[in-house]
Parts: sequence; C-alpha cells; structure tokens
Amino acid sequence: MRIRHVVAAASGALLVASLAACGGGAAASGGGEKVQGGTIVYGHEQEPPCIFGGWVQQAYISRNILDSVVTMADDGSIKPWLATAWKISDDGLTYTFTLKPGVKFTDGTALDAQAVADNFAYWEKGGNSTAKVSIDPYFKAARAIDATHLEVTLNKPYLPLLQMISQAYFGIQSPTALKRSDQLNCEDPIGSGAFKVQEWKHGQEVVLTKNPDYTSWPATAKHEGPAIVDTVRWKFLNDAVSRYSSLATGETNVIYDVPTVNWKDAKTKYDVQQYITPGKPVSIYLNTVNGIFTDKSVRQAFAYGADRKAAVEAAFHGVIPYEGNPSVSQSTPGYNASVAGAYAFDQPKANELLDQAGWTTRDAAGYRTKDGKQLAVKFTYPAGSVFTTEGATVLQILQQQWKQVGFNVTLIPETQAETFAGKYSGPKAYDAQPWYWTSPSSAILWIVWRPDTKESPNGSNSAFYNNDQLSTVIQAGNSAATTEEANAKYAEAQQIIQDNAPAVGLYTQTTSIASARNLHDVWLEKSQGEPVFADAYFTK
Amino acid sequence: MTTAVLPRALSVPSWVRTARGALLKIATAAIVLVAAASITFFAQLLVPGDRATAILNQQTGRAQQYTTAELAPVNAQFGFDRPLISQYLDYVTGLFRGDLGTSYTQHRPVTEIIGDQIGPSLVLTAAALVTAWVLAVGITLLTVKRRRAVSALGSTWEALTASLPPYWIGVVLLVVFAVQLRIFPVIGETSARGTVLPVLTLAIPLAGFLGQVTRDEFEKVLDQPFITTARTRGMSDTAVRLRHALRHSVVPAITLSGWALGALLSGAVIAENVFGRPGIGQVLVTAVNTRDVPTVSGIVLVVAGVYVIANLVVDLAYTVVDPRLRAS
Repeated sequence: MRIRHVVAAASGALLVASLAACGGGAAASGGGEKVQGGTIVYGHEQEPPCIFGGWVQQAYISRNILDSVVTMADDGSIKPWLATAWKISDDGLTYTFTLKPGVKFTDGTALDAQAVADNFAYWEKGGNSTAKVSIDPYFKAARAIDATHLEVTLNKPYLPLLQMISQAYFGIQSPTALKRSDQLNCEDPIGSGAFKVQEWKHGQEVVLTKNPDYTSWPATAKHEGPAIVDTVRWKFLNDAVSRYSSLATGETNVIYDVPTVNWKDAKTKYDVQQYITPGKPVSIYLNTVNGIFTDKSVRQAFAYGADRKAAVEAAFHGVIPYEGNPSVSQSTPGYNASVAGAYAFDQPKANELLDQAGWTTRDAAGYRTKDGKQLAVKFTYPAGSVFTTEGATVLQILQQQWKQVGFNVTLIPETQAETFAGKYSGPKAYDAQPWYWTSPSSAILWIVWRPDTKESPNGSNSAFYNNDQLSTVIQAGNSAATTEEANAKYAEAQQIIQDNAPAVGLYTQTTSIASARNLHDVWLEKSQGEPVFADAYFTK
Repeated sequence: MTTAVLPRALSVPSWVRTARGALLKIATAAIVLVAAASITFFAQLLVPGDRATAILNQQTGRAQQYTTAELAPVNAQFGFDRPLISQYLDYVTGLFRGDLGTSYTQHRPVTEIIGDQIGPSLVLTAAALVTAWVLAVGITLLTVKRRRAVSALGSTWEALTASLPPYWIGVVLLVVFAVQLRIFPVIGETSARGTVLPVLTLAIPLAGFLGQVTRDEFEKVLDQPFITTARTRGMSDTAVRLRHALRHSVVPAITLSGWALGALLSGAVIAENVFGRPGIGQVLVTAVNTRDVPTVSGIVLVVAGVYVIANLVVDLAYTVVDPRLRAS
C-alpha cells in the first residue's frame, strides 16, 4: 500500500511547463568510462516516519538496506535472493527454503534460518501489519531446521506466498538489532543489504553508505559484489516543481515521480522509467450497504454514466493508463483483460438503468429523484495523500458527466489527518471513495474482498461487499495447485466483481524515475517499484 | 511615631519591584505556555477519529476502521487506554521536567525532533522578518507622498506583493534564480546561499503587508503640524522623513511584527517544501496529518514561546521608538 503526498498546488503546473525551456545541464551523455565510487543524489518525494514499515514509502528505502528471502524478476517469476532454492511439498502446505550460507547482518549477527524465522514471528506480532495481512490467515509457522534450512508451514495452501514475500515489507532484519529501542529500529534498521543507514537528517535526507562486505545480492542484480557507488543521499523533495528542477540543475542525479506535464520533456533529456503498480488500481469503491449504491443497477449506471477513459487521458496528459478493471491492475500476474472493457461510456444505457431502478423523476436542478429523494452521491477522496491534483481533476470532469445522467455528486476532499484517523472510513461515511493497494499478486483480491463478518472482520473491504461465491472463488485461486489454475480462478473473481460493480475502475497507480544520462543501472524492483541503487554507477 | 515610619520601612525598594514584575511576567508566560500546550492537547483529542486508528493506518498506508481487538495492543502500547485525565497530567508534569513526550510515529523524544529542526526555522524566520522590514521601510521612504506616479507605484507594489500566494512567489523565484540564472541552488537546505530564496519567498508578501500599514501611517504623519514645523525650521525632506515621520509611522508595523514572527515560524512550510529546507513547519504539517499529538503540542508550545518572547521584544521596541514610554 502506498500513499503519495503532494503539498504542491496546481498553480505550479504552468511554471513546471516553463521549465521545459531550460535546464538539462546535468544530463551528460552516457557511454563513457565506468567510475568506481561516487555519490548518487536521489530526489525522492515523501519522508516516511520510519525506515521500516508497512507503507510503500518505507519499502522504497528499506529495499536498499534489507535483503529478502526471494525476489521477483521482470517477467513475474520468483528468483533466489537470501534463499538459493526452495521446495514446496505436494500438499502445498510446507515450504522448505535453503539459505545462502555465511551471510551476515551489518551488525555482525549471522543471517541464518533462525534469524529469518524470528522475522516471520516479528511481522506476525505487529512488526509489519502489511506483511501480516499479506500472508494471513494462511501462514502458520516458520522454524529453523538447521542453520541454512528454513521451514514455513501453512494452514491452507497459498500459491502466491512467494510473490507476497518478495515485497520489501518482508525485508529481513537482524534479530539482535530488533531487540534495540523502537527509536533505533525506526531510524536505523539493520539488514544485510547493499547499503546501511549512516545518518538521517530529518526533514532533509537519509545518507546511505555502502556495505563493503555485501555478499547477498539477488539473482536479479545487474552485477555481483558490493554496491559500486560509496554513498546514496536519499533526499526528500516534496515539491514536484523543485524536484524536477533539481535534476535540470544537476543537484540531483535521479528523481522519483516526474510530473506528468514534464514527461515528454524528461524523455528527451534523461533516462526515464515508468512503473505501473500491480495490485488494486485506483478505483472507486461504492458503498453496497448504505445509500443509493445498495442497488446494483444504480452502481452500473454510475459506471456507464461518465467517460472515465477520456477524463483520465485528459487529466494525466496521456501519460498514465486508464484502468477499466476495478479489482486488479493491468501489470498484475493473473490480470483479466477482458473485464476491463465493461461499462464503456454509454449515457443512454445509464439512463435506461436508472429509469428501471425507479429514479424516473427529476428535480428543478435536473437531478433524478425517487420517492422525493435525490440521486445524491457523497463522494469522499483522500486529497493530497492518495489523490494528486491531477486525480482530483479526473473526478471534477466525471462529476459534470454524472450530472448529465442525473447523479448529484458532491466531491469531498479529505485531509490526510481525517483520512488516517478514519473519519471517512465507516459504512455511514460515504457513498463512493477511490483508493488503491499495491501488491505483486492477484491475491490482493483476498485482502480487499474477503467478506467482512463479525467473526472475521475485514476493514479493507471498503465497498462493504460480502459475496460468498466471490470469496470461495478467490480462495480457490489462492489455494490452487498451479499458476494456470489460480489465474483462471482469479479471472473469474474479477469477472464477478465487474458484473456486480461494487467498484468502478479509474487508472493505474503509476510512478516513474528520471536519471541523468551519466548514471546507469538504476532499476525499479518488480514487486513494488522501488528504485535499486546497488548496481548503479556513473560514467565519466 | 512608629506608625509614621512603618510604611517607609516596609516600602519596597525599586529593584524588588522590578524583580517582582519580572517574576510576574515569567509566571504569566509559563501559564500562557502551559495553557497553549493543554488546549492543543485536548483539541487534538476532541477532533473526530481515534489515535490508535490513525497510528495503524499511518503504518500501513490505509484508511480503514479496526476492531477493538485490533486496536487494543496499540492503545496499550501508547497508554491511550488510561483515563484521559491521567494522560493529561502525565503530559503536563512532563512539561515541567522539560519532557515533551515521545512522537507516536517517529518514536523519538519530541524535544529531539524540535531541537533538530528549530535552528533552520529560526534563521529563516528572523531573516525573513528583517528582510521584510528593510524592503517595507525602503520602499515606503522612497515612494510615500512623492509624485503621484511614484506613490502609486509604491502602493501598487505593496498591494500586489501582499496578496501574492507564497507558493507562487517561491516557484517563480526558483524558476528564475535557481533554474534559469543558476545564482542560487534549488535544494537550499541550510546553506547561506540556499537560504536566500526561501527568505525572499516569505519576506516579499510580508514586506507588502508591513509596507501598507507603514504607508498609511506615514501619510497621516506627514500631514501633522509638527512636520510642517520641522519643515519651516528648514529641515530637508529626507531628514524630516527619517528623523520625524518614520519613527511615528513604524509603530503599527512593530505591533504586527510580533504576530508576524510567530506566523512565519509556523507558516514557513511552503518555503521549506519548495526549497527542500528542513524546519518545524514541515514537521508540524506531517504531525498534524498523522495525529502525532505530542509532536503537535510540542511545536505549538515552541511557537507560543516565540510569540511570548516576540511580544516582549515588541514592548521593548516601543520604548526605543517612542521616548514618552521611557519616562513612565
């Protein structure tokens, strides 16, 4: 799960555009002589409260400090990292990992099977709640067989286990270090990774220094050995205009999240990489237990009623893809492309559905009514943190079109404090609310759509949509014996969700980096899109 | 007989009176500070939403509700399950020991968080205030009651700059001076050269504002009989402006400066963000967003402290500017 935090106002957009006319001095052309050492200055966006945690803002940085058991390659396959091999029992309940021998954490503690087992226990008891929901309720126990063999047992087969634990939330920390204070573990998590924290200048940057004894690079690494550069200065540059400008003036070598207005310019001057986040895309949850959206045809009419595709293209300058599938994004293994085309813009169809649902009269303002009640939608959205100003523009365009078919949509921006404090979280708080959730597997379906019951509550089910058939199908996918079988079940689940419209698709959560042309081999990790600096080098 | 002497014997020497006055001022200041921290503490608990929920959501990047069972460990860890009054008393007694509590999100003592960030904030604030004064007084002296066109230019400039959004000013300065001309860095951080643009970002609108009030007063003062008297004594226009009129006309701006100092300190976040500068403005915004009650209360306390000190300084400044106050 990630949240972007944007303090910058829209008024910057025009000025950003004017930057296109200048700059580019730092973008030396590539292909020169490879340099050993040096300092990469990376302009990131948001400063996290701690370096390790269950928020993607923490995963971004911890990925460069902590190693994981396995990693995901660009084609979605799982490759060795701390584990050189693994065996899955025939019943799918026991995973036996063989760990790379002789790996040490940067505090000298041995990274053996017991250390990894301790980390599983740590996540489960609240050390990382996102790690926990990613493997619950399938995970049973982890134990060390010997120094290099780890056994993970499950309650039920869970095919996406390896994909899930490839996320940086599952970075392995020194068990000795975990016994230190909360403050130290927050500021200076100890891993076995290519870098370690040298200093955190709060409000400015985290200085990462190379781990000279690094031995445990992943199979997906672009070179073998410790990091090539000596230092990474991980700067927090909240403002998009200044972040992009800093690349032009050479104050940074690589930046996160190029503003979409600058995308074309960036492509001509820098090496750019775009990352379409897998998991749940940005889609609108509709409240299925309270208000007008308890009626399926009203939900479907809402989906038909506005040209979501055109609005996304306009607001994001054609840089970020539209996503019609509300439950799984197009870069996720097991994505069902055929459901994405449903509910294409069709206002006559929307009108027909609303007429059938009994919303036949209109009030003076032109909004539909039924039994004296207006077809009103309380649409709350987490402004700034999840929804950038461009995202808000999408909603404003759609609002006008929904009005044409008779919906009175009131857009309510939530402040970040309100969002986190849960002011707009309950079934009485909204009719519609957009969110996303990053995940490298279609098993995200289970996290989001698991029924919310008294015995087993699921606060993540923000449409409050309980469908036993859907639940059965997703579980069949999670516990399938083969990927093909799992994907068939996940595809069926996506179809059920689209048919019932408890959510409406908008766009993929998309991030990017741009790097100066004398900096090479900065790459985006596959499971969540974190920039990896262990292989990066400068050329002269 | 003794009764006649007694009052004299008991009468308090003047240094005691001064000391007593000073003690009273310190006590009042302490009460103001504790009250500010207390009000902030309770205000944050009164806004809808629960702290444990905010902490869990912040850790996972979610916005959802949790069950009592899910919230229980967080409530226990941070002591939210204790009666509110004992949480508050703990907080207030901590204040007197110099303990502002521990951040819910960063797990660091609030004193350390503020200590890290207060330096750059104070430098930015003080420099912005001084720069704003120089700009405001300079432009006022040069343009007030001059030829119509010059006066109009001055007052238009003030009205314009006073109403410009600081974010916009910051971005314009960044694009022109950091990107195009390359005179100053984009990421200023705490270097002297990097401080120039953030200071101007805050100083320009404030100068417009201070200039407006100074100009109004200046115009009134220049019509006063004592100015005419001074001119008839053969004093030059510049001397009249500097020695007589200015002294009178800066009083409202001095009053405003006390307020401006506090406002600059807590409102510096825009300049901090644009120029990648550390400071308590950023920390405050993040802490409010994450409902980090001890951090918010601590920063409010510090800002209140700055207000208190600023007002003392303003009182002193009055006596410097207005000799009549010195006699009393």
